[in-house]
Amino acid sequence: MPEPGFSRSTLLGSAVAAAIVFMGCVADICFAAAIVGETRYAKINPDTATSLEGIKAEYRRPALIPFPKENPYTPEKASLGKKLYFDTRLSVTSAQSCASCHNPGFGWGDGLAVGVGHGMAKLARRSPTIVNAAWGEIFMWDGRAASLEEQALGPIQSSGEMNMPIEQLMERLASIAEYKSIFAAVFPNEGMSAKTLADAIATFERTIVSERAPFDLWLEGNEQAISEEAKRGLVVFNTKGQCSSCHEGWNFTDDGFQDIGLPGADVGRGQFLPGILKMKHAFKTPGLREISRRGPYMHDGSVATLEEVIEHYDRGGVVRPSRSDLIKPLGLTSQEKSELVAFLKTLNSHLNPTALPDLPR
Amino acid sequence: MHKPALIALLILGGLSAAAYAANQTVRQHGRMFSTESVTIRKGETLIFQNDDNVPHNIASVSKGNEFNLGSQPPGASTDVTFTEVGDVQVICAIHPRMKMTVKITN
Repeated sequence: MPEPGFSRSTLLGSAVAAAIVFMGCVADICFAAAIVGETRYAKINPDTATSLEGIKAEYRRPALIPFPKENPYTPEKASLGKKLYFDTRLSVTSAQSCASCHNPGFGWGDGLAVGVGHGMAKLARRSPTIVNAAWGEIFMWDGRAASLEEQALGPIQSSGEMNMPIEQLMERLASIAEYKSIFAAVFPNEGMSAKTLADAIATFERTIVSERAPFDLWLEGNEQAISEEAKRGLVVFNTKGQCSSCHEGWNFTDDGFQDIGLPGADVGRGQFLPGILKMKHAFKTPGLREISRRGPYMHDGSVATLEEVIEHYDRGGVVRPSRSDLIKPLGLTSQEKSELVAFLKTLNSHLNPTALPDLPR
Repeated sequence: MHKPALIALLILGGLSAAAYAANQTVRQHGRMFSTESVTIRKGETLIFQNDDNVPHNIASVSKGNEFNLGSQPPGASTDVTFTEVGDVQVICAIHPRMKMTVKITN
């Protein structure tokens, strides 16, 4: 980083921008019309909490699940959404449901390195959990879905996943008398449609929230709820490990996109923001609740254990222009690595068993 | 009022308005912009200042006012001059919760 008070004109950047103006737009985006001028640098004092009490304040659980005003919660809608979520008839083969890849038995993931889609073909990325999706800002590893409702319709229609054309699905559901009557009761003014299907599934998904974990009990004042090793791990998490730069807040994610230096050709978020260098190979920061029961890890399932995840961050990953400026060798000691793992294990709650719904016939 | 004085006042008024606009700063702190919306005139400049403890990547893909500041480290502030009238959606590409609008008028 430049010295404090250092000031320089970004002539090179301006020249590049000007060159793009004359070349015209590249890919889907051109960065030329607004003029990027001088950049100055000053030293700022980071306000990251380093004391345990200060750190605790960052992680308190919210009291309520947020539901969007466009799709408010009703118990009946969540109940319908649960039926749809577990119904294999949402796939063209009638063999896969949402729960096939987002299975409560595997922490609402699938426990596989990468998902398995239509025809048992392997997908390119790991199935993310839906735990705490209610707090999500943007969805899919590459952020291509702006809402949970939009996300819900994606895998259903994707040829590689459930491969079900939405019109065909609505016809199939309309042929099931009980579904027709439930939709009519839950959505009296809208009835059965792709929109109400998505609204119901998203509403159910928002009800899947991690229960209180030992970490939460400790936040609430039970000093014995987590070990001293885990408490030290929390401090490493927030300081030397820099984990909290992205895994922030009670759900341990900023919903942001970073290239963390994993090898591979998948450009992730870069597919949608091709003009932004730092988005190449960038994937969404996952939350860390229930993390030790959700392996293997990373967007491609390439890392088997939490210990190996920490080794990756300690090494800093592949050096390339898109790699996040936050990713660099950390110099963690073996004790600090063990403490981090001990802390991460305190984020597992005791999820209540999920009763499977009776499905309409 | 004498004509030269009126002209001087107009020039001074124009300069001060420009200076005011040039001094408008949008800060980034706690993974949030300091404002949800700011209004400036065409040709005026905003300063995007990263007061956070992580890098940000401020950008816009709004037609006519596209820009990309790249990875801005904590402590960096960059001038951006907007050249087209309209509403510009400004984002941090890294942190999708960060969104704001720059309204550019004639």
